[in-house]
Amino acid sequence: MEVIGTTGDDYFQQLQIRLSNGTGPSIFSLQNTSEAERLESYVYDLSGEAFTENIAPNMALMLDDKLVGIPYGVEGFGLVYNEELVNPEDITDYESFVSTIEELEAEGITGLSLSQEAYFLIGHILNYPFSLQEDPVEFIEQLNAGEVSLAETEEFQEFADFLEAIRAQEVNPLEVTYDTQVGDFAAGNTAMIHQGNWVAPMLEDFGVDFEVGLAPFPLEGNDKIAVGVGSNWAVNANKEPEEIAASIAFLEWLHTSEEGKRIIVEEFGFIPAMTNIEAEGLDPISQAVLEASNSGETIMWSHNYFPAGIIPNDLAPAAQEFFISEDMTGEEFLENLDAAWDNATAE
Amino acid sequence: MACPAFSRAASANFHNGKEGMDVANKSKLGWYLLFTVPLLIIFTIVVIIPFLIGIYYAFFDWDGIAANPMEFVGLDNFVTLLQDDRFLQSAWLTVLFTLLSVITVNVVGLAFALLVTSKLRTANLTRTMLFMPYLIGGLILGYIWQFVFLDVFAFFGEVTGLDAVFFNWLLDEQFALFALVTVFTWQMAGYVMIVYIAGIQGIPGEVIEASKIDGASSWQRLTRVTFPLLMPAFTISLFLTLSYGFKIYDVNLSLTGGGPANATELFAMNIYNEIFGYGNYGYGQAKAIVFFIIIAAITLTQVYITKKREVEM
Repeated sequence: MEVIGTTGDDYFQQLQIRLSNGTGPSIFSLQNTSEAERLESYVYDLSGEAFTENIAPNMALMLDDKLVGIPYGVEGFGLVYNEELVNPEDITDYESFVSTIEELEAEGITGLSLSQEAYFLIGHILNYPFSLQEDPVEFIEQLNAGEVSLAETEEFQEFADFLEAIRAQEVNPLEVTYDTQVGDFAAGNTAMIHQGNWVAPMLEDFGVDFEVGLAPFPLEGNDKIAVGVGSNWAVNANKEPEEIAASIAFLEWLHTSEEGKRIIVEEFGFIPAMTNIEAEGLDPISQAVLEASNSGETIMWSHNYFPAGIIPNDLAPAAQEFFISEDMTGEEFLENLDAAWDNATAE
Repeated sequence: MACPAFSRAASANFHNGKEGMDVANKSKLGWYLLFTVPLLIIFTIVVIIPFLIGIYYAFFDWDGIAANPMEFVGLDNFVTLLQDDRFLQSAWLTVLFTLLSVITVNVVGLAFALLVTSKLRTANLTRTMLFMPYLIGGLILGYIWQFVFLDVFAFFGEVTGLDAVFFNWLLDEQFALFALVTVFTWQMAGYVMIVYIAGIQGIPGEVIEASKIDGASSWQRLTRVTFPLLMPAFTISLFLTLSYGFKIYDVNLSLTGGGPANATELFAMNIYNEIFGYGNYGYGQAKAIVFFIIIAAITLTQVYITKKREVEM
């Protein structure tokens, strides 16, 4: 067996290249339905497999009525904070957020840091104004059809204010990589980073000596963590039948055997999205995600419904422009996001 | 490539005379085939065939996924291209980048070559050191320079107070392009230096000496004797930097990633993003064809012009 690796921002492109030239993997990852649609002829229908019945409700990746992806696990993101520097109860809305990061800045500590990668710069944080809509999926459809605009929607206007406050800090996110972002946080130079439970293993490697927590991003007073499925296992339907069978057997082993379940929870550090897997001894961030997920106190991951590829292709350049232009207003930024959206949906 | 072979074969015939001709010819032909055919096959498989298939795809609307339908759209892709602002901006940036790079790479490379062929004690060491950046891959170079611009430049700016010059160039839409030119020059100057050194060393000493006796100043010697005799080296170096500059991708990817805000998205990256980012395979291919025609036209013109100025000794 061979594992093919690439980076997060480039995964889907590399996958297409390999699938097209016939060297594609037997098992690959799919983030969402729009990716599954694009690779429709490659995704194997897993509906009949017995072990897929253990997938938690609404967590399976569906394409029409076929089950095409098994969730890696549940993930959640929000403000990952250092308990010695921040009290999450102080950050409940726009005003308290701004005053907190200004106080921290005065002490020489970066309040909230983003990083330059497309998802960490804009992809994740842009979820909030979408997810706070009454029906986010419908809102995205209306946006695709050009019936609504971000610049004229209230949640986005406040979101732009938040980003202006983030930009006003000393450190420019475009100069920060994911590694430096987490490193600065672990060193106590940054009080909060906008990340999710996936940073926990890295923080452990750094051996942080303070308590870490996960708080909601307080857009419009939001008090819920964004929880969703980051990625799904899919089987390549374009392989020999034996290879497909072997791939399914592997996934079944991973999700049903004791060893497989242990690997998912302990080695991968995933929060299981399968009802037959118990999660114990999770890190504090993952624990917060699991609790939120179990209690239903969550908002959805709207970015899974964005047009395929829009985050690195269109939204990231618009965000870069915002972060290098000190005098660009939040309103202009939203207009640019609208233009970026049009570009991504235009055929 | 074939020309020297033919001319040598012809002269071999001439020398062998009538009797030995057939045998010698056959064994020579065997050797030529042995060495050229494998290369020809490889070249055909990895360059010619994909190139022809690429031309074919340029007339289709297709997302690059084998199982999805391909729709024939004729010349539509080429028409769209003319109205694609992002592509036109990318084209302009590429031209600008290449122009600046050709100038800086050749000026710096030639200066290096003149330096290390002068009576410098450490000429050999200097030559090696100057050539070294070329041996580092463009990707790694980009990451190294990212650090230089981020930390070293900021540090210089603080220490010297010249923060109008020393700041993180990669965060400025104009300066990011200059950053690319700088890194590309740093990489390529050592390479063209080697070409120029070979040219300079090929100039016979007596010509230089004669000019000295005739009373030419060192500037006159350089511009009236050395440069004209260096024309073949100019032809090669300009051709190499022009075509490398147009085709640059690795440094572009690792240094700026096309950013900030697509301000340094050069031709090759624009095509890659069109095909693999937006999934417009046919349209991306159309761009690639146009890209090919432009590079071919410009470089061939350049070779034609500089060739004409070469002096036969």
